Amino acid sequence: MNLIAAAIAVGLAALGAGIGNGLIVGRTVEGIARQPELRPVLQTTMFIGVALVEALPIIGVVISFIVMNR
Amino acid sequence: MEKFQQMFLRQLKYILYLLSLYTLGWGFTAYKTFFLSLILGTVISIFMLWSLTRKIDKLGQAVLERKKVRTIGTLSRLALAALAAAVALEYPQYFAIVPVVLGLMTSYIVIIIDFLLQKWKNNGQHA
Repeated sequence: MNLIAAAIAVGLAALGAGIGNGLIVGRTVEGIARQPELRPVLQTTMFIGVALVEALPIIGVVISFIVMNR
Repeated sequence: MEKFQQMFLRQLKYILYLLSLYTLGWGFTAYKTFFLSLILGTVISIFMLWSLTRKIDKLGQAVLERKKVRTIGTLSRLALAALAAAVALEYPQYFAIVPVVLGLMTSYIVIIIDFLLQKWKNNGQHA
């Protein structure tokens, strides 16, 4: 049961990170392709966006490990 | 690109200041488990920050050169978080899990605070 719970937690965390990062990177690539001179600004915004999106899945991974080891 | 590198170095500097505070806390206070856990989480979060910076830089370069980039390293960052959790759960006499998670979040919190500080500074210059 613990293994199933951990697997669900990690799976959903990865799904959230994947979808969020996919949207962010897609928009950033589009922006850089349109205006290459804005690369620094767009990269900085992407950096912050990816950091915000990945924070919660990381906590999800840690919680799944805790659940797995109980 | 220098701006991006400068941002990374600035954030690394802030995280290293925090790491030095945690080390002092570990050395001079009675809360050794708490501060050691924070140190573990913060060290791993430095790797995460470096990985994220490098991958995003590579992605930007690849878009300009019309090359492909397969990943931005999300799986490796999640694996680093899993490593920190595994070490903390393996040695409960030395590490506690909650401060490890706080340490892992250090780089992300520093990124947000740095962004807000830079925004405030730039608004002050334009005003």
